[in-house]
Amino acid sequence: MHIPDSFIPFDQALIYWALALPFIIMSMKWAKNELDEMKVPILAALAAGIFAIQAMNIPIGMGTSGHMVGAVLVAIVFGTPWAGVLVLTLVLLVQGFAFADGGITTMGANILNMGVISGFIGYYTYVTLRKSTGTSIAALVGAWLGLFTSAIACAIQMWLAGTFPLVPGLMAMGTFHLIIGFVGEGLITSVAIAAIAKSRPDLLEDDFTARPDKHTKEAHA
Amino acid sequence: MSRNSNMKFLYIGIAIALLLAVLAPFLASSDPDGLESAAAGVIEESKLTELEEQEPFVSSPMPDYSIEGMGKSGEVAAIAGGTLAVLAISFGFGKVFKKKD
Repeated sequence: MHIPDSFIPFDQALIYWALALPFIIMSMKWAKNELDEMKVPILAALAAGIFAIQAMNIPIGMGTSGHMVGAVLVAIVFGTPWAGVLVLTLVLLVQGFAFADGGITTMGANILNMGVISGFIGYYTYVTLRKSTGTSIAALVGAWLGLFTSAIACAIQMWLAGTFPLVPGLMAMGTFHLIIGFVGEGLITSVAIAAIAKSRPDLLEDDFTARPDKHTKEAHA
Repeated sequence: MSRNSNMKFLYIGIAIALLLAVLAPFLASSDPDGLESAAAGVIEESKLTELEEQEPFVSSPMPDYSIEGMGKSGEVAAIAGGTLAVLAISFGFGKVFKKKD
């Protein structure tokens, strides 16, 4: 879903950069306020893994392929969507500048779609479902819905850009990403979370519902 | 204990990432992705060609994860190099921006 430079006019691309920037700054603030030094290796491992898995396009039929985005996985592991925004920003920077995967002018839109929209929708869907469905299903549905929603946002941006017609664009992007979202995002996120839950259950407990230090901090404030 | 187990997580993560980097050039589908495929379906052909032929805003050293004249091994090198770059950047970023206490 990496939008190339030519798909969005320059002035509109700048608007998406302006919209993405506050989220990027907030993600850096999250790191400054919340990122424990001990967890830096986890952040780096997830970022490297996500960069690599984004090169692994999975065929979905209809002459189309897709790959995982990963913001939801990072958000679940760190217990906050800001971590997903941060990792996707770093990954998209390297992809855009070194590999022309996604434009530079359109990087704001790409960060907004893949880092912010997919991460926030996916993470909060996961949090909402987790208690009733368990982590595996919650991760699958969250990651799926997050990716699908970001594809719909992308189709609307393509329409505003005058690149895609509205309804056919929504239909095509929606159809492809319903499948990519299930296989490439939902299943892989769910399997990864299950593996982490088994080997490092402590990582998944450490979120805003169960973080003793955060509660004490708030109590003191 | 937690520091060691986090380093173990890092090593396993690097191993999985590098394995993906080696396999991707051979296993990844070369079909267009969802956005490209949608573009091919909904944009008029002449306009699509025009969009696709536009040069990117900044030229990249290794467009499409390939190194000129190096074929598959170049792709492996490009993806593995990118993986290690992301690893180093995120590790460095994390060390600089981490919570101060």
